[in-house]
Amino acid sequence: MDSTIFILALLDGVSYAALVFLVSVGLSLIFSVLRIVNVAHGSLYAYGAYVAATLSLAVAPISPWLTFPALLVASVAVGVVVGGVMERFLLRPVYGREDVLQLLITFAVFMIMDNLQRLIWGVQPIFASTPLKLLPNVSVLGVSYTSYQVILLPAVALLTVLGLRYFLRHTLAGAVILAVTEDREAATAIGVDARRVFLVTFMIGASLAALGGALASPTTSLVPGMGADMIVLSFAVAATAGLGQIEGAAVTALMIGIARAFVIYLQPEFEVLVPYLIMVLVLLIRPMGLFGVDKVRKI
Amino acid sequence: MLEFDQVNVSMAGVQVLRRVSFRLAPGATGALIGHNGAGKTTTVRTIMGFTEATGDVRLAGESIAKTPAHLRPGLGVGYAPEDRRLFSAFTVEENVLLPARVGRLSAAETKRRLDRAYDVMPELKELAARPAGSVSGGQGKMVALGRALMLGTKLVILDEPFQGLAPVLAQRYADALKRLRAHDPDITLLITESNPKLLAAFADTTLTIERGEIEQHAAAAA
Repeated sequence: MDSTIFILALLDGVSYAALVFLVSVGLSLIFSVLRIVNVAHGSLYAYGAYVAATLSLAVAPISPWLTFPALLVASVAVGVVVGGVMERFLLRPVYGREDVLQLLITFAVFMIMDNLQRLIWGVQPIFASTPLKLLPNVSVLGVSYTSYQVILLPAVALLTVLGLRYFLRHTLAGAVILAVTEDREAATAIGVDARRVFLVTFMIGASLAALGGALASPTTSLVPGMGADMIVLSFAVAATAGLGQIEGAAVTALMIGIARAFVIYLQPEFEVLVPYLIMVLVLLIRPMGLFGVDKVRKI
Repeated sequence: MLEFDQVNVSMAGVQVLRRVSFRLAPGATGALIGHNGAGKTTTVRTIMGFTEATGDVRLAGESIAKTPAHLRPGLGVGYAPEDRRLFSAFTVEENVLLPARVGRLSAAETKRRLDRAYDVMPELKELAARPAGSVSGGQGKMVALGRALMLGTKLVILDEPFQGLAPVLAQRYADALKRLRAHDPDITLLITESNPKLLAAFADTTLTIERGEIEQHAAAAA
């Protein structure tokens, strides 16, 4: 392998890992607090991407720099509106009932959102690469790469790790989420409104998935099915890390992202296989995941 | 202070509490005595709003039957569950202070309540910086009582506080309860226990629960 391919694979891997981390940490956060595997999480990623692209295309003629806040606005809007509606009206009525019911509901939401997405945005690819073009290219050891992918995306992922950690350890809202995660009834007995915590946590997790999609939107063409690909990959990352592990999800996303990128350059036919092969191998040796502990309800 | 009026609770199709009625006066120390499975924990969980109950539960004359569970602690009800249920992500002091933060108590009120908890259980101060997950079972019971005292200005509920405690720790816990009683003569205490002898000298009202039915005996009971 020559050094150019090595560096390109490494940068591709880091850039992709940043996006996968954002989605998988949202999935993990929701699972830790609500004990729900949100099958529709990939749809939130896809909607984040489509809404961001739509907003970007709308504001770019006014000022191309407005496309950056558009990415953020799209993420929060999708997380709060779609995530909020999902939790409040679809999941809340079935808390405390069989787990399979929650799984089926999120699967139904995924199917509905997937079809709705085709109805709203059609099946033709959408491109909205303005934010990518606005930032200059950088040279990494002689290889030219977009700073959007090699600097901005990893920086956002890193800020998310640090921000989530600070939020959970040093704010009252974070402490309340940790308390509900550990023991919902004990938290209620000290005055915590667990239902509100569930809603807020779901919105945060959904916003993170949408942020992943919004940040991905300038780097790729948006096509139907992008949400399904991402939910499977982000689940592989979350499960390999150990559900509920924020820093673990970051390291695992990096590991899987880089491994996937190298395989694409060396043996592209194995691209789809590699993340799941890593997941299976890790779970065979450590069923609680690389960074998981015996009790999975940790964040 | 605390009244149950014809309260029924069913769980998974089985009636656990049957037409339960009793009354604890302000300042009373009630011992809820019964064997395992008799319905003691269900009774206290009903006070906290964790069961689907019919009938009425009143606190200081006001019905709380329809009050959501998370709003009941704010009415002055502190609860130390049977198995402590501390938050292991926090230190002992963070556990004790969390109810005050959640309830957005003023700094002065928080300090007043924390001082009360430390007065009642001086050993809590030594444990303050320890991770809650690292304390022993007996110490955990003390921490759970401290946390309950941050909220319990009217009613403090202790579910089987002596269960599993070594005699020395049980004595310390009993001493803490005596200091609490001396410190707050108007506070109402409800303590569940399976051994009637343990609380005989301490309680002024005895509630005996058998198969979900409660019988009240006490000179002090109204």
